[in-house]
Amino acid sequence: MDAIDCDVHVAPASYDALFPYLSEYWRQYITEAGIRLNGVAHAYPRGVAPAAPSSYDELASGVLDRAPAPRAVVLNCVTGFETHRNPYFAAAVASALNDWMLSEFLARDERLRASLIVSTVSTDDAVSEIERVGEDPRFVQVLLPVRTDLPWGHKSNHAMFAAAGSAGLQVGLHAWGRAGKAATPSGFTTTYLEDYLGNQPIAQAQVLSFVSEGVFERFPDLRVIVSECGFAWLAPLLWRFDKDWKGVWREVPWVKRRPSEYVREHFRFTTAPAHLPAEPAALDQLLEMLDGPDQLVYSSDYPHVHGDGLPALLDRLSGEQRRDVLWATAATLYRLDERA
Amino acid sequence: MSSWVEKRSAVVAETTRSVELVDCDVHAQATEAMLAGYLSSQARRMLERYGRRTPRVTEWYPRARHAGMRVDAWPGKPGHIWGSDPELTREQLLDEFDVDYAVLEVLSGQDCYDHPDFAAEWNAAVNDWQLDEWLSFDPRFRGTIAVPHEYPDLAVEEIERRAADERFVAVLMPASAADQLGSPKYWPIYEAATAFGRPVAFHTGGYVDHRGAGYPSFYLDYHVGNGIVMQSQLANMVAGGMFDAIPGLRVVLTECGVAWAAALRWSLDAAWELMREDHPRLERKPSEYIDEHVWFTTQPIEEPEHPQHLVYAISQARLESRLLFATDYPHWDFDSPKQALPRALGPELRRAIMCENALALYGLPRERTR
Amino acid sequence: MRVVVAPLRSFPSGERRIVEVGGRSIGVFRVGESFYGIRNRCPHQGGPLCLGHLLGDAVADGPGRAEVLRDPLRIACPWHGWEYDLDSGQSFMGTVAPGVRSYGVSLSPGESVIEDAVARPASAGRRVPGPYVAETFEVNVEDEYVVLHA
Repeated sequence: MDAIDCDVHVAPASYDALFPYLSEYWRQYITEAGIRLNGVAHAYPRGVAPAAPSSYDELASGVLDRAPAPRAVVLNCVTGFETHRNPYFAAAVASALNDWMLSEFLARDERLRASLIVSTVSTDDAVSEIERVGEDPRFVQVLLPVRTDLPWGHKSNHAMFAAAGSAGLQVGLHAWGRAGKAATPSGFTTTYLEDYLGNQPIAQAQVLSFVSEGVFERFPDLRVIVSECGFAWLAPLLWRFDKDWKGVWREVPWVKRRPSEYVREHFRFTTAPAHLPAEPAALDQLLEMLDGPDQLVYSSDYPHVHGDGLPALLDRLSGEQRRDVLWATAATLYRLDERA
Repeated sequence: MSSWVEKRSAVVAETTRSVELVDCDVHAQATEAMLAGYLSSQARRMLERYGRRTPRVTEWYPRARHAGMRVDAWPGKPGHIWGSDPELTREQLLDEFDVDYAVLEVLSGQDCYDHPDFAAEWNAAVNDWQLDEWLSFDPRFRGTIAVPHEYPDLAVEEIERRAADERFVAVLMPASAADQLGSPKYWPIYEAATAFGRPVAFHTGGYVDHRGAGYPSFYLDYHVGNGIVMQSQLANMVAGGMFDAIPGLRVVLTECGVAWAAALRWSLDAAWELMREDHPRLERKPSEYIDEHVWFTTQPIEEPEHPQHLVYAISQARLESRLLFATDYPHWDFDSPKQALPRALGPELRRAIMCENALALYGLPRERTR
Repeated sequence: MRVVVAPLRSFPSGERRIVEVGGRSIGVFRVGESFYGIRNRCPHQGGPLCLGHLLGDAVADGPGRAEVLRDPLRIACPWHGWEYDLDSGQSFMGTVAPGVRSYGVSLSPGESVIEDAVARPASAGRRVPGPYVAETFEVNVEDEYVVLHA
């Protein structure tokens, strides 16, 4: 696809691939404890998708060498999302993953960019990692999982957003992650279908948090790219958010504008999954409700499969709008021209 | 002579009226003291000495506008709180807005994770209180059967106890419980409700757990989150197969908004295509189950800047015959029957929402005597 | 119509009266030495506006740094909380838009201007106006009586 692909997955095949980037202590820890990647309640079970490319060659044959070739690709590695709660291990794995991506992928192809992986259990460690490698222009955003202990807007995370801003990084808020007993309001999910769809309500709750906690008042340049969580749910959420804010704004008087204004300015959404109606009239309505496609940025989410709702939506757009969704919005968002 | 006969006839005759407004979510709220009166002495002692064990979520997320209530709904009578006085509710709601039927959802029994004996008594108390204070006070009130949902056997017993009284029109469940609402654990409750011809109303609230993104900081997030929570629960209800297992089951998603339904339907259908073997119980497209089994109350109705967009959202989700008007009296975000629904809906859809859909769902008489 | 609401001496600051005039319910408020009259009907959904709480604006210059201004007070509808200026009837949404802080300036004889480093909060007048405007009425004091012109 002649586009900037904002969500393509890579992942080491095993911890062995990370060994060159880990200390002897951690190599021994992994070996002694028998730690494996891809645990039991995995985001991408075998029946759902093939493993993400674990080498440049696999990525090339799967994505980069396909015609028409992509203009640029943002690599997401979600391996660290299911890392254990040991904060020191989490930090070590995050660094190792970033070093692995730099050497295995980013050094080999000018078209490649990546999300910077950080610890999800320590803000200090996240800040350290951003300071260590975040200035490298090939990292375009800090990768955060939608499932987490506290919503990301919480004040305990603000130092990380400050560091991201200083390093010129956006935030990539990506599906999955690890959460409490169950990532639901009640109890465990019993089907993959629910787990898969669960990213959508969870992403919605995260959107609320960024706004209500005043993240964009403190960091007005920050943009958050919600990845692999859909977007068709956005408009009704904003209607509700604005309405409720009008009644209880006093609880959050630092939210100085309508919540929907913050969301329209600061959030973007990748297009995969595009779970949409097929009828052109319904698609036109959806676009009207979204106030146009300005917030959408193309993604394939390779190698994950979500159906093909996107072409019908692109068909409803003007040439310029299509261009924006496919690459122009992302080019501006990630400052690709400036930072190259 | 004839004029005397006419006058006398006028005094004796009752007027009948065609129903025009059914309010499907009204909160009668009992104080602890009011319910304690129905408890056994042992249960009452336990309550007095040790209190309830389930935290009240409004203490974590204080309702930042008027403590969650309309300021003018405070009865000012000793021992009474918002929503506890049927006289004030009749005046401020039924008479003020010409409500034909008001369905009471008494939330005092929900979130009862206490000992099963207590949970059973507590919910029985809620239902007895409804009967004594409300359903016999004004013929326009209807009730919903509160049940100890974490103990399904006891819940079924409570349903059986109340089912003969037609004034109980539904069985009441929360929007969050110990397990997902679609869990087979709760199916006996849904089966009993269906066997007695009652829909199950899932009302926003209940102890809401981690949610995946973690606990929000503010009531604002929590309140907006009520719609998000129900998305998650509806996905679970469909995916878990309860609509296949209980073919006659009807559910009313209450006080969670309506406009989010279309996007969830599209996602459920898309995911079902992709993941067929994952869910052996799910025989048909998810949206078909929603078409057949699910209703929504309107409050708090979403208010897009362009009212036409609400019409889009309703038609995209095929909700025209599934929306039930509700005020949510006496909460602060109460929807006024006169002004809450936008004109853009048009008179036919409006009429369906204000009464037709509820009359059909609850089997209420179309004419009532005054 | 001139309506005598109450003798001035029995209408202290902070109190309100609700009067019926020609089929309309109107709230009369005293705030300090000023009097206001506003229709007891919220333009949003018809709630009894004048039964609501009188609130000063809440403002914050950052997350968690909130304060309440004393002046002006606005009446918040007892239902959905829409807030109205008693004087103009203008509704407002949310809080103060980002505004200019004011700094006190003091002069000492023979010296140049010294800036007082204490910043005052952004001006209260910068709230974002909402779509509703409540009907307001003139209220004044005549011969020690509070008089509503409705």
